[in-house]
Amino acid sequence: MFERKTRLSAISSPVLLLIIALLLWQVADKLFHFNPIVLPSPLEIGQAFIVNYASILRETGITMLEAVLGFLLGATVAYALAVLFIHFRPIQEAIYPYAVALKSTPLIALAPLLVLWFGNGIASKIVMSALVAFFPVLVNAITGLTAVDHETLDLMKSLSASRWQTLLKIRIPNSLEYLFASLKIASSMAVVGAVIGEFTGSTRGIGHLINTSSYYLETPLMFAAIISISVGGILFFGLMGILQHQVVFWERETES
Amino acid sequence: MAPMVEIRNLGQIYRSGNGSVPALQNISFCVNKGEFLSIIGPSGCGKSTLIKIIGDIIAPTEGTVSVNGLTPRDARLKGMFSFVFQNPVLLPWRRLLRNVSLPLEILGREGRDPRALLDMVGLSGFEERYPWELSGGMRQRAALARGLVFDPDILLMDEPFASVDEMTRSTLNFELLRLWQETGVTILFITHSISEAVALSDRVLVLSSRPARIRDLVTISFPRPRDNAVKQTAAFQEVVRCLKEKLD
Repeated sequence: MFERKTRLSAISSPVLLLIIALLLWQVADKLFHFNPIVLPSPLEIGQAFIVNYASILRETGITMLEAVLGFLLGATVAYALAVLFIHFRPIQEAIYPYAVALKSTPLIALAPLLVLWFGNGIASKIVMSALVAFFPVLVNAITGLTAVDHETLDLMKSLSASRWQTLLKIRIPNSLEYLFASLKIASSMAVVGAVIGEFTGSTRGIGHLINTSSYYLETPLMFAAIISISVGGILFFGLMGILQHQVVFWERETES
Repeated sequence: MAPMVEIRNLGQIYRSGNGSVPALQNISFCVNKGEFLSIIGPSGCGKSTLIKIIGDIIAPTEGTVSVNGLTPRDARLKGMFSFVFQNPVLLPWRRLLRNVSLPLEILGREGRDPRALLDMVGLSGFEERYPWELSGGMRQRAALARGLVFDPDILLMDEPFASVDEMTRSTLNFELLRLWQETGVTILFITHSISEAVALSDRVLVLSSRPARIRDLVTISFPRPRDNAVKQTAAFQEVVRCLKEKLD
C-alpha cells in the first residue's frame, strides 16, 4: 500500500510541477509580453505543434529511426568486440587504446567527415549514432563478461568446461546486467548522435527541422520540435528500462 | 582399502613481486576410496590450496598427486572431482532444477536424476524456484545436489557450511553423512570447526600454520551411522580437546 502511494506520487509530483510551471510561464507571458521569437508562450508552442504536427512527427520518426538503427549497430559491434577482447588479450591490447581515443574525441568534430563519407542522407546519422552508442556498451560488456566470481570459474574448471561453454552458460548471462545498464545510456546518446548528424548536413529529420525553424525565426515550431524529439528520447530510454526489467529479472531480486 | 588419492611431498610456493611465500610444505598422505577425511588448520594456512591442487584447479610447484592412478588433470577431464564451496555459487538466472543439472550439461553425460537428488536433499517442490527465493541453508543443499548429480568420485568441500547458522549446519552435517553413505563418494572436507570434523570423519588431517605441514592424521573410530548424539559423549569431547591442543 505504502509502495503504491510512493509510486503514484513519483509520477504525480513532477506532473503537478510541470502544470504549475506552464501556468506561471503563460501568465508571465501575458504580463510582460515576451518576444515570441525569443520565448514563445506555452500556448504558442502548442499551436505550432497542432499546425505542424504531421511534419514534426514525421521528422521525429526519421531521427528516431536513425537513432535506433545506429544504436543497434553500435551496441552489436561493441558487444561482439567485447567477446573477442576477453578471449584474445593481444587483440584487446591492440584495439582498446583506440576505442578510448575514439571516446575522447568530441564526436561533433567527426560529423562533417561522416557526412562527406556517407552522404547527407540517413547513413551518416546512423554511423554517428553508432559511434556514440558504441563506447559505453563496449566498456560495460567487457566488465560484465569478466566480472564472474572466481568460485564460479573454479566450478567450471573442475567440470573441465570449454571456453565456449563458460561463455554461453556463465559469462554472457552474467554480462546482461551490465549490458542493459549501458544500453540505457547508449539509447540516449544515440538520439544525440543522430541530431548532431542532422545539424551537420541533412534534408530530413528533427535536426533539420530545428535548423530551418531557427533560420526562419519560427521559434514556437523549434520548441515544439525540441519537445517532440525529447519525448522520443525518453520513450527510447524507457523501453530499455522495461527490457532490462524483463531480461535481467534476477537483478532486482538479488540486489536486496 | 585402495587409496583413491595419493599425495607425495607436495609443496606450493606463491611467487609475488617481493619474494616467494611458501603455502604448503612436504605434504604426504593418502585418502582411501570411500573415506570421509576432514582437513583442519589455522585460517589461511593453505587448506584451500591443498584441495585445489588435488582437484587440478591449480598446479603444485613441488611433489605429485595421483588420483586412482591418474594425474589430477586426467582425473579432472574424466569428471571425477566435484567442488562444493562456502558460497553455493548458484546461477541466479537458472531455476533450481537447471542449476542442479548444470554439471550434466557441461560434462555431456547422464548422471543421477536432478529431481530425485533435490528430493534427497529435502528440496522437493522447489525445483522451479530461483536461488534468490531460498534461504542460505536451502541454497547450500542445492549446491550439494549439484555436486552429486554427475556421480563424482571425489567430493572436495571447502568449508561448505561455514555461512549457515548453527542449527542448519548440524542438520546439513548429518544429511551429508547420509548422502555419503548412500553414494559411496570419497569426501575431502575442509572446516574450521573441530567438532564438525570429528563428528563426520573417518580421519582428520591437522595442518600447521603457514607454510602448512602435516601436524597429525587422526583416526576417528566412533561407530557409524552417527547422529547428533555422538557429540554428547565424553569420548567425543576428549577427541575434540585433543585435536584442539594439536592446533594450538
